[in-house]
Amino acid sequence: MSDFDAIVVGAGNAGSSAAIYMANKGLNVLLVDRADPPGAKNLSGGVLWGNDLAQILPKWQSEAPLERFINNKKLGFLTEKSSFMLDFKTQIFEENKVGYTVLRSKFDPWLAKKAKEAGALVIPGITVESLAIKDRKVIGIVESGDTITADVTLLAEGVNARLAIEAGLKRPLRDSDVSLGIKEIIKLSPQKIEDRFNLKNNSGVASEYILGFLGELNVGGFLYTNKDSISLGVVVPMENLRENGVTHSYDLIEMFKEHPSIAPLIEGGQVAEYGAHLIPEGGLEMMPKLYGNGYMILGDAAGFAFSNGLVLQGMNYAILSGIKAAETAVEAKLRNNFSEQSLSAYEEKLNSTYVLKDLKTFKDIRKVTNNPMMYNTYPKLLESIMLETLWERGQPKKKIRDVLSSCASNLNMGKIKTLKEFYYIYRRM
Amino acid sequence: MLRMAVMIKQVPDSQDITIDPVTKTLNRTQARNIVNPPDMNALEAALQLKDKYGGEITVITMGPPMADSALLECTSRGADKAVLVTDRVFAGADTWPTSFTLATTAEYLGGFDIIFCGEETTDSSTGHVGPGIAEFLGVEQATYIHSIDYQDPYFIVEREIEGAVETLKIGKPAVVTVVLNANNPRKPTLKRKIEAFRKGVITITNKELKLRPECVGLKGSPTVVKDMKTIVDKPKDTVKVGPEEIPKVVEVLTQRGILKC
Ligand SMILES: Cc1cc2nc3c(=O)[nH]c(=O)nc-3n(C[C@@H](O)[C@H](O)[C@H](O)COP(=O)(O)OP(=O)(O)OC[C@H]3O[C@@H](n4cnc5c(N)ncnc54)[C@H](O)[C@@H]3O)c2cc1C
Ligand SMILES: Cc1cc2nc3c(=O)[nH]c(=O)nc-3n(C[C@H](O)[C@H](O)[C@H](O)COP(=O)(O)OP(=O)(O)OC[C@H]3O[C@@H](n4cnc5c(N)ncnc54)[C@H](O)[C@@H]3O)c2cc1C
Repeated sequence: MSDFDAIVVGAGNAGSSAAIYMANKGLNVLLVDRADPPGAKNLSGGVLWGNDLAQILPKWQSEAPLERFINNKKLGFLTEKSSFMLDFKTQIFEENKVGYTVLRSKFDPWLAKKAKEAGALVIPGITVESLAIKDRKVIGIVESGDTITADVTLLAEGVNARLAIEAGLKRPLRDSDVSLGIKEIIKLSPQKIEDRFNLKNNSGVASEYILGFLGELNVGGFLYTNKDSISLGVVVPMENLRENGVTHSYDLIEMFKEHPSIAPLIEGGQVAEYGAHLIPEGGLEMMPKLYGNGYMILGDAAGFAFSNGLVLQGMNYAILSGIKAAETAVEAKLRNNFSEQSLSAYEEKLNSTYVLKDLKTFKDIRKVTNNPMMYNTYPKLLESIMLETLWERGQPKKKIRDVLSSCASNLNMGKIKTLKEFYYIYRRM
Repeated sequence: MLRMAVMIKQVPDSQDITIDPVTKTLNRTQARNIVNPPDMNALEAALQLKDKYGGEITVITMGPPMADSALLECTSRGADKAVLVTDRVFAGADTWPTSFTLATTAEYLGGFDIIFCGEETTDSSTGHVGPGIAEFLGVEQATYIHSIDYQDPYFIVEREIEGAVETLKIGKPAVVTVVLNANNPRKPTLKRKIEAFRKGVITITNKELKLRPECVGLKGSPTVVKDMKTIVDKPKDTVKVGPEEIPKVVEVLTQRGILKC
């Protein structure tokens, strides 16, 4: 007889969602997290798209600690002196309200509290040391020499999945699997935020940036508004950092903050928190086998996240994979069969959701997010096109066609090569 | 078998307390709540006695319902029972009703051979409550102790006084207050935490204690806070020390017994 029906390691979005679902269905669940309160040290940008959360917590919009709903999405290309922004604002987001900024240090403890209310035993402040394995089956977890057993163990331990890796259930991370995200939370009064970003009530803006002023570095930036703070950060592929010998990655966020189009937005703000975290971007390449005898792997630990330069999502993937793993565990309990074969239903379920569909559709997306053209060339190209067309310098005007080709040749870009590269990126996005 | 109690208070983590630059008042809202640090040493002292002589440890706190997490921290480390004394009428207590209510709770629970307290709290630091409990119960006490042993019917305790260590023999039952860093508090384990969280805490209100409302809480508090001022520390004259001087700094610190070489 096991101590629990299910043990969940990690009270991030994936783990707490799984625990809520299983506890609601009457399973005896243990949810363990190393932080106290649970999940308090987790980090996201973070815009949460809540469709999946609604499956387990239908009243999330009124109960969760949410910051601002997104009704304005921006995409910016920055060069040293210019910024080119696409600005999309819509009443449709306003009417639906499913994208919200959240602060994980508040959101995660709340989600874990919901797991407790659903009946799970939630234990914070404990780092699980290893998996207990017997006869090639995961039978639970080990801490301080004690083994706590369960019929099934759900590994929701985040991107650097030490337990899964040490048990040989997942290969160690490679540089090409991850990007490094560095983030600050900058305190600013709600009044200033609303004035500077043209917001009202609880509306908010989420902006992504391509940073075209950092030489060979392929750096993306983000800036999201919270109630009384701004979340701002940079994301850079690990192998690109390594290739360029960058050791002071923190300088990158400083350079982003000092950019002439960013500095005025955060002026007078106080940095309240900062942190760095890896983001799984290796997609199918890095995905481990998702299940086996007595275990399943979910969320970031399984590599479930999506980024294409326009959006960066992981929380929703974590939640949905948590729900699907939990469904599988509940069904396995009914069959009283937690074998590899029985738990294979988890992957089948994921196959019919966007989680695995997206990973398959965008299997080459890293070639876009780590493409030097995207960062070093396009922002400059856009800048020179804008200057050619919008800046009156007492010169005869050119047709757009000629503007394009002269700008491209100024940047030493062959027409054919440029078109080919553009088509290459376009196909993969 | 020793019947032991440990009195603990939940306090805001002083590392998280900031001073609002505008109002100049303490901002506790961001602060995490922790167990008053010397109370952890008091608990560890009790656990060590239990390891040696056997016994049962009850941790007790008077505070709001959310103080249950502080109690669970203690049962997760090996205390056997957790008691939360909570009631609206107990709110706003100064050290007199706090000591009185806690002493009454100890009696209500059947009395203890020894009650452990911390030396003082980090959020009010009066150091009154331990001695107060001893006075209300009319038992022997020793304050600011750093070690304790048991020789029935006595407790042998050590306390540091200026330039010497004093060893006292006090009769059972007794109240002791333990200094910060007296020992190395053990860490909770998952197995103990699971047991502790499953057991939960026992809540005691004034329905059980039946204390007269005018003797507890704000009403029972003889002290009145008339005014509060924030004093801004002037920066001390600082001396710049270069790397050449490091050996000298080490020498001075070693002489004063702060560093061991
Ligand atoms: C702004 C402010 C002003 C205050 N002004 C006064 C005042 O003027 N006069 C006054 O008497 N008090 C005052 N108090 C303090 C008061 O209410 C105390 O918090 C309470 O009476 C306990 O005293 P203490 O924290 O100093 O405990 P101490 O006596 O320093 O604590 C010693 C030990 O007693 C135990 N202990 C203390 N409190 C508890 C508890 N609640 N439950 C279980 N064990 C406990 C712990 O083991 C602790 O380590 C004030 C508090 C605040 C925040
Ligand atoms: C800079 C940045 C920006 C991002 N922006 C967004 C965004 O805007 N929108 C979005 O949807 N996603 C975003 N993401 C991605 C998102 O944060 C992750 O995909 C998501 O957090 C994954 O959730 P998870 O539950 O799988 O893992 P995590 O949230 O990492 O949770 C793992 C949990 O496991 C615990 N744990 C780990 N090991 C142990 C152990 N041995 N014992 C006990 N507990 C353990 C940890 O304490 C933690 O609570 C961003 C990520 C970064 C880094």
